[in-house]
Amino acid sequence: MLGYIARRLIWMLLVLWGVMTITFFVARVIPADPVGAILGPQAPPEAIERERERLGLNRPIYVQYIRYIFDLLRGDLGISLRTRRPVLQDIAQFFPATAELALSAFLIGVVLGISVGVVSAVYPGRVIDHASRVFAIVGLSMPAFWLGLLLLLGFYYKLGWLPGPGQLPYWMPRPPRVTGFLFVDALLAHDWSALTSYLKHLVMPAFTLGWISTASIARITRASMLEVLREEYIKTARMKGLKESGVVMKHAFKNALLPIITVVGIRLASLLEGAVLTETVFAWPGLGRYATHSFLSIDFNAVVGVAIFTAFLYAFCNLAVDLLYAYLNPKIRYV
Amino acid sequence: MRRILLWCLVSALALPLLAVPPKDTLIIGARTDIIVDLDPARTYEVFTNLIIEQYYDALVNIVMDQGEVVAKPGLAQSWEVSEDGLTWTFHLRRGAKFHSGREVTADDVIYSFTRSLSLNFAPIWILSQYVPDPSMIKKIDDYTVSITTKQPVAELIIASVVGFQGICSIVDSELVKAHATENDPWANQWLKTHDAGSGPFILVEWTPNERIILDRFDEYWAGPAGVKRIIFIDIPEPAAQKLALDRGDIDIAWDLLPEQVDLYRSAPGFTVIEGPSWSIEYLAMNAGKPPFDNPLVREAIRWAIDYDAIIYGIQKGAAMPGQTFIPAGMFGHLPETPFHKDIEKAKALLAQAGYAEGFEVEMLTSTHPRRVAIATQVQADLAQIGIKVNITQMVSAQFYELYRAQKHTFLVAGWGVDYADPDALAKPFAHCCTTGPEAPVRQLAWRNMYVDCETTALVEAAAKELDAEKRRAMYEEIQRRILHNGPYVILYYPLNQVVTREVVKGLVLNPMLSFTEFWPVAKTG
Repeated sequence: MLGYIARRLIWMLLVLWGVMTITFFVARVIPADPVGAILGPQAPPEAIERERERLGLNRPIYVQYIRYIFDLLRGDLGISLRTRRPVLQDIAQFFPATAELALSAFLIGVVLGISVGVVSAVYPGRVIDHASRVFAIVGLSMPAFWLGLLLLLGFYYKLGWLPGPGQLPYWMPRPPRVTGFLFVDALLAHDWSALTSYLKHLVMPAFTLGWISTASIARITRASMLEVLREEYIKTARMKGLKESGVVMKHAFKNALLPIITVVGIRLASLLEGAVLTETVFAWPGLGRYATHSFLSIDFNAVVGVAIFTAFLYAFCNLAVDLLYAYLNPKIRYV
Repeated sequence: MRRILLWCLVSALALPLLAVPPKDTLIIGARTDIIVDLDPARTYEVFTNLIIEQYYDALVNIVMDQGEVVAKPGLAQSWEVSEDGLTWTFHLRRGAKFHSGREVTADDVIYSFTRSLSLNFAPIWILSQYVPDPSMIKKIDDYTVSITTKQPVAELIIASVVGFQGICSIVDSELVKAHATENDPWANQWLKTHDAGSGPFILVEWTPNERIILDRFDEYWAGPAGVKRIIFIDIPEPAAQKLALDRGDIDIAWDLLPEQVDLYRSAPGFTVIEGPSWSIEYLAMNAGKPPFDNPLVREAIRWAIDYDAIIYGIQKGAAMPGQTFIPAGMFGHLPETPFHKDIEKAKALLAQAGYAEGFEVEMLTSTHPRRVAIATQVQADLAQIGIKVNITQMVSAQFYELYRAQKHTFLVAGWGVDYADPDALAKPFAHCCTTGPEAPVRQLAWRNMYVDCETTALVEAAAKELDAEKRRAMYEEIQRRILHNGPYVILYYPLNQVVTREVVKGLVLNPMLSFTEFWPVAKTG
């Protein structure tokens, strides 16, 4: 097992190197002038030249690449052209907000998605099954941007049940930044009012982002459960007189889990992508917006940094899912 | 732990109390993610400079007064020029204090200008085109500074340059020096996130993409500001800003779309504040490439555009009609709008130019929805005179790469005013005597390969002219030449628009939006 993990980690490093190299060159061969765009349409050419020189962008591309690799080995992702801060610092600044949002959305997605999927598989063709399928289709097809605005309109503007955009009320001081995760920082500071305010602010963006996952998890759960529920051993279990709930949860669900775990793993990593629009609508200070700005302005270092980071998240989630397979199904052995 | 969870559950289920902004706090919902650095030597974006304006002060204040932009005393109480027009002497206000409590002196002025010139960041050209060397700024005594320019310059130019909040903001030299290091002798890293100003507010907090908090500086030389605290909250989405304004959670929505602003015109409880913006939306035609190397073709295009459709259809009326490159309200503006949609005239001009059958041309635009809409309108207009326009959208980084390299043929873009003098527009729009890299000004006229040495000389002369009336006449002449021969179709001047709750009083938008002051703003409830 350990050998397997070590091999996977080496592969992961190779994947990261590949992603880095491709992104590095693609970003630089696009006929564009990010420095000129970042300094604005009115910056005179001399100022752009000076800035390019300052950032080392006037060197040959292979020199920039070698230099970048050496910096990367020291854990330095370079300086963002746009924010003028180290990319690593930017990621550390903005990732916690996205991670908290994505994890909450993920929890909503898993709990709701699996529940809806199981129920509709147990009652196929019934009203509840149709209703849950409509729920799933709406979730998959409704753009996060639109859903977010509708939620704001309903629960913030009309009903006033939930707070508006942002993570905290404007007047509330932010707990001292220790981890960057507002939930954890509020806990560490014993700042209960910040904590509860934050949780209230989290509801709508988390649900907006979570609904997409709910939909896809519900669909795969339903399909997988239906297949398992048709198996002979389920009939046997029922004939033995086991309670239906026991049949569904212990015998069917556990065996239907593998494909669900695959989807769940992919959803977790892809929440980062979905976060972009949700973060914009709900003024969430996360990495999604940072990534979008970086890509649109072809901010070389930030683009490569975000790509490496996202690739790492994907690779990590995939590894975790694979390891989970072995745990859930003892027949799977990694050597 | 159980108690904490219970508390969280109870609070989360409880209905949130409606939080009305306190009377002494001004809450502004705005898109703040453009702010990446608050060192005044580097800030160049409009919104960042707007923040800088609130907590720094400059020698001169560029303010909107009774519909006109004027230079008023700031940290300098008065100034005068030597007879040769080369040396400006500024007399500092006594008793003006930095937020640290230190008095502002000539040493701080010299340090601030020297620092900006030495750091040499992008916006420094605004100062260095006239004052290239720190040695040209001299201390006469603790309260008097002289600035020598490399050529005589008009008063409005020098006032608007030294009044430029950013590179010419006065920083607390002692405080900044205390944070300098061997690798960072001008404390650039420290000043990116800290305050060393003497303006009416103090920077308390800047959390990127979240909020900026400014508190009132009670010892401000002109008296304390009207509100105790300003909070800029980051709400990037205009629709979300509107909801927050409607709910009363913010006092001002900064970035509403024109169609959203219209909804508030007759809505009780809100005030629409708008005013001219010193910026220009235009089409550019590369005069170095056929068919636009023919002035008749350029003139034909100007007669083919449906200006009203762009102003009222696309911009929803949030624009002032205008066809000259110095916008209305600015010194030297030429109020001539000869062009309107006249297909027959446009066709006749095209025929005269030898393009009776029209031609095909690529038009570049950034992906900004408004620009794309304008490009589409232009495409439809020019189709009527036989010109087939193919629109190519691209991100700004690609767009400006092509534009700066003179590789475009036709495009739609915008331009803002860098400092409050027509020189800031005449240079980019009309200064080009050669299309080579040796040109001293490589801005719009150069990018569009519009060579006109006579007009270029006039632009140079107008900057040096000290007689205001003669100067005005020179700028009018320059605009007249560009209006009919230049490589542009000026479409309109956009309006600045914000919507406030009606309790907000005293907000006046400066045509150069970054110069807007919150110091006189108060709330009545």
